[in-house]
Amino acid sequence: MASGTGFRGDRLRKALRVYVLTDRSLARGRSEREIVEAAIAGGATAIQLRWKTGSLHEAMAIGRELGDLCRASGVMFVVNDRVDLAIALGADAVHLGDEDLPIPAARRIVGDAMVIGYSPATLDDALQGERLGADYLGVGPIYGTATKSDAGEPVGTQRITEVCRSITIPVVGIGGINAENAGAVIEAGAAGVAVISSVVAADDVREATMRLAKAVQGAIGVE
Amino acid sequence: MNSIPRLHLISDSRLCPLDRFAALSRVVACAGVSAVHLREKMLPAGELLAAAVVLREALGGSATLFINDRIDLALLSDAGGVQLGEGSLPVSGARTLLPPGVLIGRSVHDVAGARRATEDGADFVMAGHVYETASKLGQTARGTAFIESIASVVSIPVVAIGGITPERVGDVMRAGAYGVAVQSGILAAPDPETAARSYTEAINDAG
Repeated sequence: MASGTGFRGDRLRKALRVYVLTDRSLARGRSEREIVEAAIAGGATAIQLRWKTGSLHEAMAIGRELGDLCRASGVMFVVNDRVDLAIALGADAVHLGDEDLPIPAARRIVGDAMVIGYSPATLDDALQGERLGADYLGVGPIYGTATKSDAGEPVGTQRITEVCRSITIPVVGIGGINAENAGAVIEAGAAGVAVISSVVAADDVREATMRLAKAVQGAIGVE
Repeated sequence: MNSIPRLHLISDSRLCPLDRFAALSRVVACAGVSAVHLREKMLPAGELLAAAVVLREALGGSATLFINDRIDLALLSDAGGVQLGEGSLPVSGARTLLPPGVLIGRSVHDVAGARRATEDGADFVMAGHVYETASKLGQTARGTAFIESIASVVSIPVVAIGGITPERVGDVMRAGAYGVAVQSGILAAPDPETAARSYTEAINDAG
């Protein structure tokens, strides 16, 4: 089973710039494939299959489609929560939270090639995450968000600055980020921004992703 | 290839908290339980992994550890089997992730599901619910005719589940079951070891 294609170092950092997560409940009836095609066309650099309900049988079928779309465009393909699903899909990365497998356990079965992302709840968790072998962190919620009702109070861009000061692996901000406020997240030290609703729920997913990508690139200072 | 177990015990933390389940499993494994399933859907994966490792060590070689649904946990705990359901990864996908010899059971609720499980390469199906059971209130008991209908169309062993008492084992096996899976019949018994022995004897008598 081919898993991971070596998103490391600068390549990983670039892949984290415009990171789009799927969410069926926000997609307004559009398929994951449709959303992801448009997001990639608009400049998404990473796609995460975020599968919270429904059968893994279906997740496998959809994940295969998304993985193919990502590979064809050099986009990093990430699977949320389930390490076995990530391995079965040959994903580039798996993203873990506190309810998921501990990072060292996941590493034992995914090998060195697969990227492991981790969502720390606190600054201490962030340090711990890096120590345990996470390759990047998702930090948030930066701004208020309706997508994750359990995400807690917004931590602001200040948290990005604090985390980035203490660790060396790249950080993506998540939570309530859109084209208008993405620049501040990058300026605080993030390698990129992760979004759900500002892209997935947009009327024009491609256009929304383009605006986000432009804001990120503007803040990073690249074209 | 491990031989397919005939007497399965399935965890239920409402009937037996996980911190006691490993010790109980070890005792009943000596009384004939040949597979112990860790099936706790509400626990975070890290806690499940810890429980699986403890259970694996407690069982030693006395019974096969089955992990419900999660292939990653099965790999990490060196389990001898996985039990997959409708919502799990497909059997064929799971097989490619697991080392040779790890058993794959597939839970089924109708004949079509049992056929698919066989075609997908499952080692056995777990079929139910045969009798009314407290752990699945509101689900219709399908009776031994259900086991008969499945056993007559699939070539792999059928493990029956749902309200099976030692007294009912004979009927279930005459209907074509290869073995039985139990929760409350052992976990809620005044003496789980004696209960396990009763099931074992009933299976041996019927076989």
